[in-house]
Amino acid sequence: MSTPLQALKKKTNEALGIRPEDAVLSKSYLLVAFAALLIGGILGLLQGLNRAGLLDLPHWFNYYQVLTAHGLLLVLVLTAFFTIGYFYAALSHTLGGLLPKVRKLAWVGFGLKMAGFVLAVIPILMNKATVLYTFYPPMAASPVFYFGLVFIVLGVWMCAFGCFIQVANWRKQNKGKHVPILAYFATGVFVLLFFGSIPVTIEVFMIIPWSLGWVETINVMVARTLFWAFGHTLVNIWYLTAVSAWYVVVPKVIGGRRFSDTLTRVVIFLLVIMNIPGGFHHQIIDPGIAESVKFLHVFMSLAIGLPSLMTAYAMFSVFEKTAKKKGGKGVFGWFKKLPWGDVRFLAPMMAMIAFIPGGAGGIVQSTNQLNQVVHNTMWIVGHFHLTVGMSVVLTFFGISYWLVPYLSKRVLTPKLNKLGVIQTIIWSAGMGLMAIAMHWVGLLGSPRRTSYTTYFDNATALGWDPYLLFLAVGGTLLMIGVILQVYAVVHLMFFAPKGETEFPIAEEEEDAAKTPYWTERWGRIIFVMLLVIAMGYVIPMVEFIVNAPPGSPPFKTW
Amino acid sequence: MNQLIIGALLLLVLALPPVRHLLESIMIVHMHMQMPLLVVAGFLTAKYMQEKLPGFFKKWNRNGLPGILLFVIIMVYWTLPRTMDEALTVPAVEIFKYVSLPFLAGVPLRDSWKKLSVSGKNTVFTGFTMLFFGMGWLYIKSPEQLCNNYLLVEQLTLGWGFVTMAVCMVVYLVYKALVDPSEYE
Repeated sequence: MSTPLQALKKKTNEALGIRPEDAVLSKSYLLVAFAALLIGGILGLLQGLNRAGLLDLPHWFNYYQVLTAHGLLLVLVLTAFFTIGYFYAALSHTLGGLLPKVRKLAWVGFGLKMAGFVLAVIPILMNKATVLYTFYPPMAASPVFYFGLVFIVLGVWMCAFGCFIQVANWRKQNKGKHVPILAYFATGVFVLLFFGSIPVTIEVFMIIPWSLGWVETINVMVARTLFWAFGHTLVNIWYLTAVSAWYVVVPKVIGGRRFSDTLTRVVIFLLVIMNIPGGFHHQIIDPGIAESVKFLHVFMSLAIGLPSLMTAYAMFSVFEKTAKKKGGKGVFGWFKKLPWGDVRFLAPMMAMIAFIPGGAGGIVQSTNQLNQVVHNTMWIVGHFHLTVGMSVVLTFFGISYWLVPYLSKRVLTPKLNKLGVIQTIIWSAGMGLMAIAMHWVGLLGSPRRTSYTTYFDNATALGWDPYLLFLAVGGTLLMIGVILQVYAVVHLMFFAPKGETEFPIAEEEEDAAKTPYWTERWGRIIFVMLLVIAMGYVIPMVEFIVNAPPGSPPFKTW
Repeated sequence: MNQLIIGALLLLVLALPPVRHLLESIMIVHMHMQMPLLVVAGFLTAKYMQEKLPGFFKKWNRNGLPGILLFVIIMVYWTLPRTMDEALTVPAVEIFKYVSLPFLAGVPLRDSWKKLSVSGKNTVFTGFTMLFFGMGWLYIKSPEQLCNNYLLVEQLTLGWGFVTMAVCMVVYLVYKALVDPSEYE
C-alpha cells in the first residue's frame, strides 16, 4: 500500500509539475545531448561533402578524425545523455520525485561522463585517437582516450544505480503494485546499460596496458567480441528508449489508450533477456567462429525481431482503434484521422515508419549469406542512419517537443509546432535520401569508412559518384534539420511562453486484463538474461582463448 | 491443450534429423541446449497428463519427492560423458534420451516443483549448482578426451559452460538470500 506521504508527493507532483531540482538535472542532460547533435551534425555534413568528392578536408583534421568524432558525439553522447535525461524525468514524474541521493548519483554520473568525454575528445582532436567509434584493436589510440571511456562507463553506472535505488524504494512503499510503465522501461534500459557495459569495461582494461606498452600484444577477437556485446546492447538501449515513447506517450498524444500492459512488459524483458548475445551478428564474417555456431547466433539475433513485430502490431492496433473512435473509416481511410499536424505525433510516427525498412535491412544483415554481400559497405552505414538516425533520433526529437517545455514550465506554441513539423519533414527527406543512396551504393560495392577516392579512376568506383552526391544533398538537408531542432530545443527551454505542459502518459483500456505479477520479478529476469549471455559467449570465447593466435601489437594506421 | 501441442511440436522438431545433427555436432549444444529443450518439451506436456491422470500423480508423487528424485537421477545420468557418446553411437540410447528427458525428467519436474517446500527447492538448486561446478571442474581439468565423439577443445567449452551456469545460479541464490520479497510484494 502506498503511504499517505507518498500519495501526497504524487499529488503535489501532478499539481505543480516536476520539482525544480529534478528539472535542472534533466535539462542539463538534454542540453548536452543537443549540443552534441549540433557539433556532431556539422561533422556529419563535412563527411557527406567529402564522400561526394565536393570537399577536401585539411590534413590537420582529416576524414577519419571527423568520422571518429561524429560517431562518438552522436551514437554515444547524444543518445546516452538524452536517454538518461528523459528517463530521469520519467522516474521523477511517475515515482513521486527523485530521492536526494538518487539525484546526487545522477549528478556525479553527469560529472564523470563529462570528464570522460573531455579526456576522450582531446586525443581525437590531436589526431591521436583516430580509431573510429568502434574502438577495438588492432588500431590503438592514445591511452588517455581509454581513460576517458572508463570515466564514461563509471558515470553511466552511477545513473543505473540511481534508477535501481529509486525503483526499489518506490516498490517498498507500494507493496504488491506494478511499477509504473515508464519506470519499468527505465529499469529495463538501465539493466541493459549496466550489464552491457561490463564487457566493454573488460575490453578497455585489456586495451589500456597494451596501449601503454606494458604488454606487447592483445587478443583481437576477444576484444572485438567484448566490444560488440556492448555495442549491440547500446543499439537496443536506444531502441527501447524510443519504444517507451511509442507505447506510452504516442497513444496519449493521439487521444487513445495504451495497448496491453502485459504485452508491453513482456516486450521489455524479452529485449533485455535476448539482447546481449545479439552482438555476434556484427561478427558474422569474423574468423574463428564455426559456421554452425554462427547459424545458432543468427537464430538468436532474429529472435529479437519477435518483440519488434509485437510492437509493430501493438502500435498500429492503437492507431486504428483511436482513429476509428474518431470516425475514421475503411481499411486505410482511418489514417486521415491521425493528428499529422502535431509534431509530438508526426516525428515518432515517421520514426516508426522508418523502422519498417530499417528492421527489414537488419534481418538482411544478420543473415549469413546476405551479409557477405553488404559487409563493410555503405549499406551498413545506410542501415544505421535509417534506424538510429530516423527511428531513434526522430522519436527523441518528438519527445523533446513536450519534455523540454514540461521541464522548463513553458508551452509549445502553434508556431513552434509548425516549425517542428517542417523540421520532421526536412529530416525525413534528408535522411531518406541519404540512407537510400547509402544502401544502394553499398550494394554496388562502395566501402564504408573510406575517405573519397576514385581508386585511380577505376570505372566501378566512378560509377558510385552519382549516388554519393545524394549523401551531400541529404547531409545538407539534415544540417538544416539539426539547426531547426537545436533552435526549437533552446527556444522551448529558455524563451517560449510560460505555462504548464503535461507529461503525456496514456491510460490502459478500461477493460484491460490484469497484468500478472511475475513481470515484476527482475531477479528472475536478470538470472535468465545471464544464462542466455553464458549460452551465447562460452563457445566462441573458449575457442578464441584456447586456440588464440599470437596476438596483435598496436597499430596506428593514420 | 495449447501447451501439449507446443510441447509435442518441440519434441518433434528436436527429433528431425537435420536439427538433431546440428545440435549434436557441438558438444555443449548437445548437453546444454538439446537436452534442456527435451526437458522443456516434457514440462509443457505435463499439464495435460496431470489433468488426464490426476490419480496417478497423487498416488505416486504426493509430496513431490519421488518426482524430483527421478528428475535428479535422469539429469545426473545425462551429465556423464559416456552417456553422450552412447547416444551418438547406439540408437537405442538415443531413443532412451528422447524418452527419458521429456517424460522422466520434464514431467516429474513440473509435477514436483510446486509441491516442494522452499527449503526443498533451495536444496535442489544448491545441489545442481554444486554438480555444475563439479562437472565444470571435471571437463576443464581432464587432460584426456572424455567423449570419443568430441574434441578436447569442445570438452573445455562444455566445462566453462557448466562453470558459467553455476556462477549464474550462485548469483540467483545470493539474490534469493539477500532480497526479501515480502518487502516488495
